Amino acid sequence: MARIIVVTSGKGGVGKTTSTAAIGAGLAMSGKKTVVIDFDVGLRNLDMILGCERRVVFDFINVIHGEAKLHQALVKDKRLENLAVLPTSQTRDKDALTRDGVEKVLDQLRDEYDYIVCDSPAGIERGAHMAMYYADDAVVVSNPEVSSVRDSDRILGLLSSKTRRAERGEEPVKAQLLLARYDPARVEKGEMLKVDDVLEILAIPLLGVIPESQSVLKASNLGMPVVLDESSNAGKAYLDAVKRLMGEQIEHRVLAPERRSFFQRLLGRTA
Amino acid sequence: MQHTGRVMPFQIRGRSFTAIVLELTGAADGEFYAALDEKLKQAPHFFMNAPFVLDLDKATGIARSGDMMGLVRELRSRKLSVIGVQNGTFEQNTAALSAGLAPLQGGREVRVEGENAEVDEAFEEEISGSEEAAAVLVTEPVRSGQRIFADRGDLVVVSSVSSGAELIAQGNIHVYGSLRGRALAGVNGDARARIFCQSLEAELIAIAGLYKTSDDLGPDFERKRVQAYLEDDVLRVELLK
Repeated sequence: MARIIVVTSGKGGVGKTTSTAAIGAGLAMSGKKTVVIDFDVGLRNLDMILGCERRVVFDFINVIHGEAKLHQALVKDKRLENLAVLPTSQTRDKDALTRDGVEKVLDQLRDEYDYIVCDSPAGIERGAHMAMYYADDAVVVSNPEVSSVRDSDRILGLLSSKTRRAERGEEPVKAQLLLARYDPARVEKGEMLKVDDVLEILAIPLLGVIPESQSVLKASNLGMPVVLDESSNAGKAYLDAVKRLMGEQIEHRVLAPERRSFFQRLLGRTA
Repeated sequence: MQHTGRVMPFQIRGRSFTAIVLELTGAADGEFYAALDEKLKQAPHFFMNAPFVLDLDKATGIARSGDMMGLVRELRSRKLSVIGVQNGTFEQNTAALSAGLAPLQGGREVRVEGENAEVDEAFEEEISGSEEAAAVLVTEPVRSGQRIFADRGDLVVVSSVSSGAELIAQGNIHVYGSLRGRALAGVNGDARARIFCQSLEAELIAIAGLYKTSDDLGPDFERKRVQAYLEDDVLRVELLK
C-alpha cells in the first residue's frame, strides 16, 4: 500500500517541481517503487524536469476522463527503473481534476507502488486542493523569505482542515518542512531568514535544508533530477531529506557559508 | 514582594455551572449519530448551544485525537457545544485535550428540565436569553488565513498565532505563544475585555472596536509579554511583570 506524499508550498517558484523530481528520484534510487504525478494542469513541467517530455502520449487528465488507460499514460524513467511519471495536460485547466477521478487513479497506483508523490500547483485553489486531498504526508517547500513562509503557513492550515484525513477525523497529514534555496552567506548578512526563524513560525519538523546551488538549475535544464548529480551539495541534501522521509534518522548537515580562498577573492568570483 | 496598591487586572473565582452530560455507550458510529439526530429532532431548541460534557465510561474507541476531533466536529455541527469529557481513559483524556476539551472530574446529578418533547416555553426562553459563557480553547498553532471565533466568551490559544490569522472573541483573548496575527477582543462591545500574550508581534489588536496596528504599537512592546485593555476609551498596552 503506497504512501501518498504531496509536495506543496502555496507560493509559486519556491522549488516544488524540482523538489518533487528530486524526492521521487531519491526514493526510486533507494529501491522504492515510486510514481510522481503532476497536478499542475495547464502548466506541465514535471515531465520536463525529469527529462521525459518527449515520450508523453497520454496524460493524467486523459486517464481521469477515461480516454486512456493508466498504464498508457505512465512514463517509465530511463535511468531509474523504479521511477514512473504521470504527466499532466498542458491544454486543459484545473477544473479537469475531479475528486472521484483523482481518487480512482490513486487507488489504482496504491497497490503497485511504494510511494506516490504529488506535485502541487501554486496557490490554494482547486489544483492545490486536489493534490493535497488524499495525502498521507506533506512536504511543505519554503524559501527563507517572509512571503514564502507565510504562504506555507496558510498551506499548513489547509492541510489540517481540507484533506480527507482531516475531514474523516483520522490521524492528521504529517507535514514536514523542506527549506529550499538556502544561502548561508546571505543568512549571515541578515538578508535571508535563519532556519530557526522559519521553524519557529511554522512549528513543524524539518525535513531538510537545500542549499542554493547552480547545479539545481543546470540539472533542471538537462532534464536530470539533481540527486543524480553526485557532486552537487543540493543533490546530497535532497538525498538526506529522502532518507528522513523514509523514517531514517539523519543528522542535519551544518550549513556554514562557503569560505572563498584567497585566489578566488582575488579573482572576485565564487567557485 | 512590594505592594504597589494597584488594582489587580483580574480576579480568579471558582464557579459551578450546569452542563448536560452525554453518556456514550459504545462507539461513535453511524448508529450513535442516527440515535442522536432522532433525539435532537424531538427537542431541537433545547440542546442548542447548551454546554455538553461527554461521559466516556462506557464508550469504546475514541482514543486517538483524530477520533475525538471527528466526534467533536460532528457534535458541533449539530450545534452542541462540547466543553469537556469525563471518566475517560488516559488516552481518551489526552485525545480530548488535543481536541480542545477539558477532562473534568466530579459532577453532581441535577434534573434536566424540559428534556422531553414538550419543551416548556418559559424554560426555552431562559436558555436562549441567558448568555452562558463558553471559553474556546485552541491547542494547535493558528495558521495564516485561519479565523477563530469565540462567540460566547474567552478565547485561549496555547500555541502561536501566525501572521495573517485572526482571533475574535466576545470576551478576553489569551495567547500563550507568539501573537503575530490579529486579535479582536470584546467584539460585542465589552470594554472590560482584555488581550494577554506572551510575545506581542501582532499585526493588529482591538478591544471593543478600538484598535492599534503594529505601527501604532511601536518597538517598546515588541516580543514582550503584555496585556492590552481599555481605559477611558483609549486602548492601553502594558508589560506584564
